[in-house]
Amino acid sequence: MIDDLYAIEKSAYRDSVIHRLDARVKLIIALAGIVAIVAMPYSTRVYELGAVLFAFFIVLWFCSRLSPLVYLQRLLFILPFGIFLIGFQIFVKNKYYDIFHPIATLPFGIEIYAESVEFASILFVKFIVSVSFIILLSSTTKMQDLLEASGRLGLPREFILPLGMMVRYIFVFAETFGKIRSAMDARCFDPFDRNLPYRYRLRQLGYTIGMFFIRSYEQGERTYTSMLCRGYGEGAHLHIRSRPLGLGEASFFAGALAFIVLSTILIYLRP
Amino acid sequence: MHIPDAFIPMGQALAYWVIALIFIVLALRWARNSMGEEKVPLVAVLAAGIFAMQAFNIPVPWGTTGHLLGAALAAIVLGSPYAGIFVLTLVLLVQGIIFGDGGITVMGANIINMGVVGGFIGYYGYTALNGVMNNAYIAAFIAAWASVFVSALLCAVELAIAGTFPLVLGLVSMGMYHAVIGLIEGGITAVALYLIAAARPDILERPAGVAA
Repeated sequence: MIDDLYAIEKSAYRDSVIHRLDARVKLIIALAGIVAIVAMPYSTRVYELGAVLFAFFIVLWFCSRLSPLVYLQRLLFILPFGIFLIGFQIFVKNKYYDIFHPIATLPFGIEIYAESVEFASILFVKFIVSVSFIILLSSTTKMQDLLEASGRLGLPREFILPLGMMVRYIFVFAETFGKIRSAMDARCFDPFDRNLPYRYRLRQLGYTIGMFFIRSYEQGERTYTSMLCRGYGEGAHLHIRSRPLGLGEASFFAGALAFIVLSTILIYLRP
Repeated sequence: MHIPDAFIPMGQALAYWVIALIFIVLALRWARNSMGEEKVPLVAVLAAGIFAMQAFNIPVPWGTTGHLLGAALAAIVLGSPYAGIFVLTLVLLVQGIIFGDGGITVMGANIINMGVVGGFIGYYGYTALNGVMNNAYIAAFIAAWASVFVSALLCAVELAIAGTFPLVLGLVSMGMYHAVIGLIEGGITAVALYLIAAARPDILERPAGVAA
């Protein structure tokens, strides 16, 4: 995950009409797309809504001028999180169908059901559309902009300041992580090397993580000291400038939101 | 253990969000009352550190991998289960919105599983066992193991209620898998706690080895 950090932020620093959109607009549109596809009941109507929302996503991705390869690489990284659960569905019955028709029988009496395959494909469509909107959001929006957007949308200030600092320090730790990994490689230490005793591998990883914890804490102490030097004190909070939406942004926001909501309602209500 | 979007229907996902929000509000109250200004940068970098720690893949004996949750460790070191919830909420927000690791609609369920269960079982398991056994490292080991194991079982129950994974199979597979990952989490938490107690004992809210 941490290896992708720089690639994601590099994509977010590019320039396009989507990149320039206010982060609040992108955040709400992405959430609306995800909520719409998740809210659609598990039925074949998910295919229709999925097609509509995915087409909308493709248009937005095209406008972002990012390569389709960027999307595919990120999708390949996220897919394993859900693909096991989806693939497993074809072997089991679920509560969303009353009757199951076997279409294949495997050794040990394992059966594949037509309805289960359909359910797996419904889950797959929902999953792909959801992660596509997340990929679009994070590939076209800088983390700092997302944070400010969250603050403008009402995220509690107790979260904003630590979150802002956390986002900055993720990059510091990504570098530290890389250095630790290089040091492990330089010493020919591989935690997956089965020739090494398991207890030894675990102890080394424990020390590494403990050291990571201490380093992060000491980084926090240095940060706190430097913040004090800059006048930080009780009641301090991250300053977020107010930024009204432009006419173009407001129009896009209203249009995109209306498109998602109306598509969902129309497909849901269609006889 | 990060449940993706679509695997829990919207109604249930909202219910988990409501429960999670109750704990998030309590964690915010902890932050207001107990997280002094000097702790804000520390909590922030700890969250970043735990985020990075979760990137360490840990080998599981039969060839798969898992990763550290860190909720128990954060709660033990910072001295409150709400610290675990607070830190894990920050981590899950960034993982879900930036990396797509864990869904948005199901983030409430993920916060309950990893933050709430991880924080409460990690912290109270540690303090109770430390009081009984007077051995901080064994207490940390068992508490961290239990936090992972119970979180995994809860995750299996949530997926079963959602109808996206059979209950018995889910409990058995998630339970077995995370019973092993939990051993690793417990081992690493105990070793990390030992290292922190040896190198920087002032970091610990309560000195290791002393019953709470």
